[in-house]
Amino acid sequence: MDESDLELRRRTYAFFVEHGRAPAATELGDGEEVVAGWRRLHSAHALVLNPATDELRMLNPFSVVPTAYRVQAGGRWWYANCAWDAVGICAALHSDGRIETSCPDCGEALAVEIRDERVADESLVFHVLVPAAQWWDDIVFT
Amino acid sequence: MNLFRSEEHIARWLGGRQPGATIPAAKLAELAHAWWDDRISPGWVPHTRDQNQAILERLGLTGEFWQLA
Repeated sequence: MDESDLELRRRTYAFFVEHGRAPAATELGDGEEVVAGWRRLHSAHALVLNPATDELRMLNPFSVVPTAYRVQAGGRWWYANCAWDAVGICAALHSDGRIETSCPDCGEALAVEIRDERVADESLVFHVLVPAAQWWDDIVFT
Repeated sequence: MNLFRSEEHIARWLGGRQPGATIPAAKLAELAHAWWDDRISPGWVPHTRDQNQAILERLGLTGEFWQLA
Protein backbone atom coordinates (compact mmCIF):
# COMPACT_ATOMS: atom_id res chain seq x y z
CA MET A 1 0.00 0.00 0.00
CA ASP A 2 1.76 3.16 -1.16
CA GLU A 3 1.40 6.69 0.19
CA SER A 4 -1.16 7.73 -2.44
CA ASP A 5 -3.42 4.81 -1.53
CA LEU A 6 -3.04 5.62 2.17
CA GLU A 7 -3.99 9.21 1.38
CA LEU A 8 -7.05 8.06 -0.58
CA ARG A 9 -8.05 5.88 2.34
CA ARG A 10 -7.64 8.81 4.75
CA ARG A 11 -9.83 11.04 2.56
CA THR A 12 -12.44 8.30 2.20
CA TYR A 13 -12.71 7.74 5.96
CA ALA A 14 -12.64 11.50 6.68
CA PHE A 15 -15.53 12.06 4.25
CA PHE A 16 -17.51 9.23 5.84
CA VAL A 17 -17.02 10.48 9.39
CA GLU A 18 -17.76 14.10 8.45
CA HIS A 19 -20.88 13.44 6.37
CA GLY A 20 -22.17 10.21 7.89
CA ARG A 21 -22.34 8.58 4.48
CA ALA A 22 -19.93 7.06 1.99
CA PRO A 23 -18.62 9.22 -0.82
CA ALA A 24 -19.22 8.44 -4.46
CA ALA A 25 -15.90 7.99 -6.23
CA THR A 26 -16.34 11.29 -8.10
CA GLU A 27 -16.68 13.18 -4.82
CA LEU A 28 -13.04 12.37 -4.05
CA GLY A 29 -11.47 13.08 -7.43
CA ASP A 30 -11.26 11.45 -10.81
CA GLY A 31 -13.78 8.62 -10.58
CA GLU A 32 -11.74 6.01 -12.42
CA GLU A 33 -8.59 6.75 -10.43
CA VAL A 34 -10.47 6.65 -7.14
CA VAL A 35 -12.11 3.32 -7.96
CA ALA A 36 -8.74 1.89 -9.00
CA GLY A 37 -7.33 3.01 -5.64
CA TRP A 38 -10.30 1.59 -3.74
CA ARG A 39 -9.76 -1.74 -5.49
CA ARG A 40 -6.15 -1.82 -4.32
CA LEU A 41 -7.26 -0.92 -0.78
CA HIS A 42 -9.90 -3.65 -0.96
CA SER A 43 -7.23 -6.18 -1.93
CA ALA A 44 -5.12 -5.02 1.02
CA HIS A 45 -8.14 -5.38 3.38
CA ALA A 46 -8.04 -1.65 4.14
CA LEU A 47 -11.71 -1.25 3.11
CA VAL A 48 -14.34 -3.44 1.47
CA LEU A 49 -16.01 -2.81 -1.88
CA ASN A 50 -19.12 -4.34 -3.32
CA PRO A 51 -17.38 -6.23 -6.14
CA ALA A 52 -20.45 -6.02 -8.37
CA THR A 53 -20.70 -2.23 -8.26
CA ASP A 54 -17.33 -0.91 -6.97
CA GLU A 55 -19.27 0.98 -4.31
CA LEU A 56 -18.01 1.05 -0.75
CA ARG A 57 -19.48 -1.71 1.43
CA MET A 58 -17.41 -1.46 4.64
CA LEU A 59 -15.07 1.13 6.07
CA ASN A 60 -14.24 -1.11 8.96
CA PRO A 61 -15.43 -0.88 11.68
CA PHE A 62 -18.22 1.13 10.00
CA SER A 63 -20.72 -0.44 7.66
CA VAL A 64 -21.76 1.70 4.71
CA VAL A 65 -25.06 -0.19 4.44
CA PRO A 66 -27.72 -0.85 7.11
CA THR A 67 -27.07 -3.81 9.41
CA ALA A 68 -28.42 -5.33 12.61
CA TYR A 69 -25.96 -3.23 14.67
CA ARG A 70 -26.83 0.45 15.11
CA VAL A 71 -24.38 2.57 17.06
CA GLN A 72 -24.81 6.06 18.48
CA ALA A 73 -21.43 7.69 19.00
CA GLY A 74 -19.79 11.01 18.34
CA GLY A 75 -23.14 12.75 17.88
CA ARG A 76 -24.41 10.52 15.09
CA TRP A 77 -25.95 7.11 14.40
CA TRP A 78 -23.86 4.57 12.46
CA TYR A 79 -24.13 1.00 11.32
CA ALA A 80 -21.52 -1.60 12.30
CA ASN A 81 -20.63 -4.84 10.54
CA CYS A 82 -20.85 -6.94 13.71
CA ALA A 83 -20.69 -6.68 17.50
CA TRP A 84 -16.90 -6.33 17.49
CA ASP A 85 -17.14 -3.47 15.03
CA ALA A 86 -20.01 -1.88 16.95
CA VAL A 87 -17.76 -1.42 19.98
CA GLY A 88 -14.99 -0.60 17.52
CA ILE A 89 -16.88 2.45 16.25
CA CYS A 90 -16.80 3.89 19.79
CA ALA A 91 -13.10 3.02 19.94
CA ALA A 92 -12.30 4.62 16.58
CA LEU A 93 -14.24 7.79 17.45
CA HIS A 94 -12.80 7.80 21.00
CA SER A 95 -16.33 8.21 22.25
CA ASP A 96 -18.81 6.66 24.62
CA GLY A 97 -21.79 5.25 22.79
CA ARG A 98 -24.88 3.12 22.64
CA ILE A 99 -25.32 -0.03 20.58
CA GLU A 100 -28.78 -1.22 19.59
CA THR A 101 -29.22 -4.73 18.24
CA SER A 102 -31.07 -7.93 19.15
CA CYS A 103 -30.07 -11.36 20.40
CA PRO A 104 -29.76 -13.53 17.25
CA ASP A 105 -31.33 -16.44 19.14
CA CYS A 106 -34.45 -15.01 20.79
CA GLY A 107 -34.74 -11.67 19.02
CA GLU A 108 -34.98 -9.70 22.24
CA ALA A 109 -33.75 -6.14 21.83
CA LEU A 110 -30.35 -5.42 23.33
CA ALA A 111 -29.24 -1.88 24.14
CA VAL A 112 -25.61 -1.77 25.16
CA GLU A 113 -24.02 1.30 26.68
CA ILE A 114 -20.28 1.85 26.17
CA ARG A 115 -18.80 4.04 28.88
CA ASP A 116 -15.10 4.68 29.43
CA GLU A 117 -14.20 1.87 27.03
CA ARG A 118 -16.29 -0.66 28.93
CA VAL A 119 -19.54 -2.47 28.18
CA ALA A 120 -22.04 -1.50 30.85
CA ASP A 121 -23.92 -4.83 30.76
CA GLU A 122 -21.20 -7.42 31.30
CA SER A 123 -23.69 -10.29 31.43
CA LEU A 124 -23.74 -10.35 27.61
CA VAL A 125 -21.49 -12.72 25.67
CA PHE A 126 -19.81 -12.40 22.29
CA HIS A 127 -19.57 -15.33 19.89
CA VAL A 128 -17.22 -15.64 16.92
CA LEU A 129 -18.32 -18.41 14.58
CA VAL A 130 -15.52 -18.32 11.98
CA PRO A 131 -11.88 -19.13 12.91
CA ALA A 132 -9.50 -16.17 12.56
CA ALA A 133 -7.59 -17.68 9.64
CA GLN A 134 -10.80 -17.61 7.59
CA TRP A 135 -12.16 -14.17 8.50
CA TRP A 136 -11.23 -12.62 5.15
CA ASP A 137 -12.39 -15.58 3.05
CA ASP A 138 -15.86 -14.01 3.17
CA ILE A 139 -15.69 -10.89 5.31
CA VAL A 140 -19.38 -10.07 4.92
CA PHE A 141 -20.36 -13.49 6.34
CA THR A 142 -17.69 -13.26 9.06
CA MET B 1 -19.63 -12.06 15.30
CA ASN B 2 -22.67 -11.46 17.45
CA LEU B 3 -23.76 -10.45 20.92
CA PHE B 4 -26.06 -12.83 22.79
CA ARG B 5 -27.94 -12.68 26.05
CA SER B 6 -26.14 -15.75 27.40
CA GLU B 7 -24.21 -18.88 26.45
CA GLU B 8 -27.50 -20.77 26.52
CA HIS B 9 -28.76 -18.54 23.73
CA ILE B 10 -25.60 -19.18 21.71
CA ALA B 11 -26.05 -22.94 22.02
CA ARG B 12 -29.66 -22.72 20.90
CA TRP B 13 -28.77 -20.42 17.99
CA LEU B 14 -26.02 -22.78 16.83
CA GLY B 15 -28.34 -25.76 16.63
CA GLY B 16 -26.09 -28.56 15.44
CA ARG B 17 -23.36 -26.31 14.10
CA GLN B 18 -19.82 -26.41 15.40
CA PRO B 19 -19.35 -23.62 17.99
CA GLY B 20 -16.67 -21.03 17.45
CA ALA B 21 -15.27 -18.99 20.33
CA THR B 22 -17.22 -17.23 23.08
CA ILE B 23 -15.83 -14.40 25.16
CA PRO B 24 -17.38 -12.14 27.81
CA ALA B 25 -18.58 -8.67 26.85
CA ALA B 26 -15.85 -7.12 28.99
CA LYS B 27 -13.21 -8.87 26.90
CA LEU B 28 -14.95 -7.77 23.70
CA ALA B 29 -14.61 -4.16 24.83
CA GLU B 30 -10.89 -4.60 25.44
CA LEU B 31 -10.47 -6.32 22.08
CA ALA B 32 -12.40 -3.70 20.13
CA HIS B 33 -10.47 -0.81 21.65
CA ALA B 34 -7.10 -2.45 21.06
CA TRP B 35 -8.02 -3.38 17.47
CA TRP B 36 -9.85 -0.26 16.24
CA ASP B 37 -8.52 2.61 18.35
CA ASP B 38 -6.29 4.06 15.61
CA ARG B 39 -8.53 3.35 12.63
CA ILE B 40 -9.49 6.90 11.69
CA SER B 41 -6.39 8.68 12.96
CA PRO B 42 -4.61 10.63 10.20
CA GLY B 43 -1.40 8.71 10.79
CA TRP B 44 -2.97 5.27 10.44
CA VAL B 45 -0.94 2.64 8.68
CA PRO B 46 -2.05 -0.97 8.27
CA HIS B 47 -1.42 -3.27 11.19
CA THR B 48 0.81 -6.16 10.30
CA ARG B 49 -0.42 -9.67 10.88
CA ASP B 50 2.04 -9.98 13.77
CA GLN B 51 0.75 -6.79 15.38
CA ASN B 52 -2.81 -8.06 15.21
CA GLN B 53 -1.80 -11.48 16.51
CA ALA B 54 -0.04 -9.78 19.42
CA ILE B 55 -3.27 -7.94 20.30
CA LEU B 56 -5.13 -11.24 20.44
CA GLU B 57 -2.41 -12.92 22.48
CA ARG B 58 -2.19 -10.03 24.95
CA LEU B 59 -5.89 -10.52 25.64
CA GLY B 60 -5.48 -14.26 26.12
CA LEU B 61 -7.09 -15.13 22.78
CA THR B 62 -4.72 -17.92 21.86
CA GLY B 63 -4.94 -21.35 20.30
CA GLU B 64 -5.66 -22.51 16.79
CA PHE B 65 -9.02 -20.72 16.54
CA TRP B 66 -7.39 -17.30 17.00
CA GLN B 67 -4.47 -17.81 14.60
CA LEU B 68 -4.70 -15.20 11.85
CA ALA B 69 -4.01 -16.08 8.22
